[in-house]
Amino acid sequence: MKITLDILQVLMLILGAPLVHGIIARLKARLQRRRGASIWRPYAELFKLLRKEELVPPTSSAVFRLAPIVLFGATVCAAAFVPVVHASALLGSRGDFFLFVYMLVLGRFFLSLGALDGGSAFGGMGASREALVSSLAEAPFLLGLVAIAVLATRADIAGMVAWTLEQNIFNISAVHILALTSLAMVILAETGRMPVDNPTTHLELTMIHEGMVLEYSGRSLALVEWASAIKLHTMFALLIALFFPWGMAFSVSGWGVVVALLLYCAKTAVLMILLSVIESAVAKLRMYLVPDFLGVASALSALAVIFTMWVKR
Amino acid sequence: MLLLLPLAIPVLGAGLILLFHNPRAATRLALLLGGVEIAVLGTVVWQVHTHGELQQGRYLRADGLSAFFLMGIAIVSGLVLVYASGYLRHTGEGRFSSPRWFYALVFLFLFTMISVCLSANLGFLWIMMEGTTLASALLVGFYNTEGAVEAGWKYLIVCTVGIAFALFGTIVLYLAAVKAGMNPASALDWVSLMNAAPRIALDPHLVKLAFVFVIVGYGTKIGFVPMHSWLPDAHAEAPTPISALLSAVLLNCAMYALMRYDAIVSRSVGPAFPHVLLLIFGVMSMVVAGLLILVQRNLKRLMAYSSIEHMGIIAIGLGLGGPLGLFGALLHTFNHSVAKSLLFFSAGNIRHNTGTLRMDEIQGISRTLPQTTAALIVGGLAIVGLPPFSLFISEFAILSEAFAQARYLVVILFLAMLSVVFGGFAFHFFRMLCGEPDRRPENSKLIPSEYIAMGMAALCVLFFGVRIPHVFGRLLQEAIAVLQ
Amino acid sequence: MGLVGIATEKILSSFSVFLFLTILLLAVARRISSSVLLFGLQSAIIAAEVLATAFQEKLPEIYIVGALVFVIKVVAIPRAFFLLTKRLKTVRDVKASTTPTQSVFIVAAIIYLSYAAVHSYGGAVHVPDDPLAAAISLILTGAFLMVSRKKALMQMLGLLVLENGIFLAALITTFGMPLVIEIGIFFDILMGLLLMGIFTFRISDTFEHLDVSKLRRLRG
Repeated sequence: MKITLDILQVLMLILGAPLVHGIIARLKARLQRRRGASIWRPYAELFKLLRKEELVPPTSSAVFRLAPIVLFGATVCAAAFVPVVHASALLGSRGDFFLFVYMLVLGRFFLSLGALDGGSAFGGMGASREALVSSLAEAPFLLGLVAIAVLATRADIAGMVAWTLEQNIFNISAVHILALTSLAMVILAETGRMPVDNPTTHLELTMIHEGMVLEYSGRSLALVEWASAIKLHTMFALLIALFFPWGMAFSVSGWGVVVALLLYCAKTAVLMILLSVIESAVAKLRMYLVPDFLGVASALSALAVIFTMWVKR
Repeated sequence: MLLLLPLAIPVLGAGLILLFHNPRAATRLALLLGGVEIAVLGTVVWQVHTHGELQQGRYLRADGLSAFFLMGIAIVSGLVLVYASGYLRHTGEGRFSSPRWFYALVFLFLFTMISVCLSANLGFLWIMMEGTTLASALLVGFYNTEGAVEAGWKYLIVCTVGIAFALFGTIVLYLAAVKAGMNPASALDWVSLMNAAPRIALDPHLVKLAFVFVIVGYGTKIGFVPMHSWLPDAHAEAPTPISALLSAVLLNCAMYALMRYDAIVSRSVGPAFPHVLLLIFGVMSMVVAGLLILVQRNLKRLMAYSSIEHMGIIAIGLGLGGPLGLFGALLHTFNHSVAKSLLFFSAGNIRHNTGTLRMDEIQGISRTLPQTTAALIVGGLAIVGLPPFSLFISEFAILSEAFAQARYLVVILFLAMLSVVFGGFAFHFFRMLCGEPDRRPENSKLIPSEYIAMGMAALCVLFFGVRIPHVFGRLLQEAIAVLQ
Repeated sequence: MGLVGIATEKILSSFSVFLFLTILLLAVARRISSSVLLFGLQSAIIAAEVLATAFQEKLPEIYIVGALVFVIKVVAIPRAFFLLTKRLKTVRDVKASTTPTQSVFIVAAIIYLSYAAVHSYGGAVHVPDDPLAAAISLILTGAFLMVSRKKALMQMLGLLVLENGIFLAALITTFGMPLVIEIGIFFDILMGLLLMGIFTFRISDTFEHLDVSKLRRLRG
């Protein structure tokens, strides 16, 4: 029974991802006083791409076609680590948060490789920028999770979530606030959102993620876009699970799960609204300011780790 | 009731002066009010001398120490007002350049400084000390030139930060007192703290921490090295009467505040800790200021560094303690004020007559400005501590105490710095006095008030070097008694 | 205990966290207006803490102090700053001498040092660790801001943050000094700010800029 629920969690993360993407796009459009596309449009787009013919640059090698598959696979694997409705996940106890982070890194790495392999100038430029952002974002990501892990004395994400569930919601702890701020900034960097990267830009010189996928078409593009949406959804789920998990079902009974699911949708809705507002309100940072942005995130997460020394258990 | 008068007169007087737009009327009113104020202060001093301490409410109190400082304030501010009445005929540009604003601000400044000397409560002392910074900032920047604005800004910022640290020290002392069981309402009252001092010593770390912050904070106002950065700029760019007031009165008031804290802390955790700090700051100030005197190019900056050096001497005297040390320190506060005023007055004259304060551009004033030259020589000899002038007596006392306590390092540094300063002053002054003057000064007209002030200051310095008046001596003894 | 009681307890136990956030954000703020907003937020947190203390310790005097803090530091001073920036027409950049990353690491080090200091010496005073460390961090961060920011307005702001820290330290250790003294201190701060404002005008008039690092005529 637990396994079924875990599988359903992963499926929800995968299948719900384009919906999250669509809702965010629609919210941003509304904030900019446009009508915006339907929230189901990303699904239509995926269907369309899956049926289209795929064009491959003649100078590319097998890596080019392999990259989207590895990216998709790694992202799905990472999604399997994150609890959604109850404090366990499909791969939850098989690996700790390092594995989670580096699954995502594996995906990004292969995407960069694929972009370089594609042979276009924009692919190379996007890949090099992606390398900068990714390497700088790794530290705060890990440190933020380390801070929570030290508090919870567990290293697997499901365990950390279980620990957080036991805490009192009103004891605001400095560690959590700092880790939350830091991870929020990392999410913006990792998923290629403003102010680090503009997902809707069509100016090649400002692209990071979009630049890397410029050469892809057809099924590969579908996989890449889907993987990026799954990543965003997974990160949201991670944030909710680590910092606001209350409401998760304790047992696998019917009503508990339904309530947990509804609460999860509500929390995700809040995060989506926040992201839309932030994306509409801030301007994209110039490239040389991105290290500052991520440096601040690093300092905050380092401070969170230092603070774990003084938190009374 | 009596204690309210010396506070009310300057405040009301400031407001009154602002009503008089005619400069000469304003000047005369200022002089009149100054005279009244000096008379009132004299009365207060006499009352304290004959009847003992006076207390007014919870915040005002005058004892032997306050009386001594008030007497100094009275004499020096009298001299400064007389000088200023003549000096302001040569006013420069500026938004508030009219005499009425000048005198109004000066009276406000005096109000705050007199309040410092009359305060019974450490919190009130702090508030008034911050008030002195605020009241004098506009005076420092009075001329509104680039240099004046920069000096005023630096003064405001550095002193406010310093005073903030002093606030922290005051709070820590208050905390120690309250923790030792004192009633919170009286835990800032100086007399109560003195009485309860041994009890507060139950927590020596807090008291010591408090004193560290206080000496850094109030030391900024006194001009101890390394917190002195505002002092040369402020003294150089301010109008000359204000420089005299800053050097002669403000620094003394800050030293007064420090003395009050030193008394409490010495009685509480023993004199060793605070006196060591005082000696360190005193020696550092003396050495650094003395060395920097050699490389000065602006006459008023030279005198500012000399003030820093003399504040260091006072701190050394205070830090040595003992009868002679305290005697020397307190006497020195008075002597230094008078001598420094004399020097600043001469500098002001030189500025008006030659148009510059750069010492390498001033030459041959012994021929063009004979009276100012005389004042300069008298002041210079006095300030480096030569007999028969008054500073010799106080420095000699401090030196004797240092010998008596076998603090030979202090003695060596003291004597070395005195020689260095003597050399520096001699060099700078000879360059200015001798040689051919560049040009005959156009406006060497003699304004009587300026010369009266200088003359009186010079006489004072000479007179006190020969013999200390009996009454003065008694007041000094009472002041010392308060601190022991 | 009632809702107010619970709120008071939560405020008192966790407000220092938010103060740390404000000083970290102050370290990275790039514009004067955001710094002023952060200062206002900081003062609001401190005002809330003052009122919570007044409620819990049942000391009515402190309500007045809390109200003063709110009116002066949360409302009046930020508005005065905004008026000043509008009238001075200066470039609104903060002009820091350290990059945001360096600044935030320095502030993080300051926070660490404050905690270390509180753990070594805090035994003398029986107060919880976090608020005292927050107060010391505020003092040190105020000093850091004054040293590293080159605009005159930012130096004033640094002074205000420093004073916030001293005020907080006084509050949590002794529940405030006698009321008259507190009022006197507030008055002094206000007059000081007024004078600094006047001087800022003069600086911008005579120098045509507000960069205090360029005020270096007087040296030696």
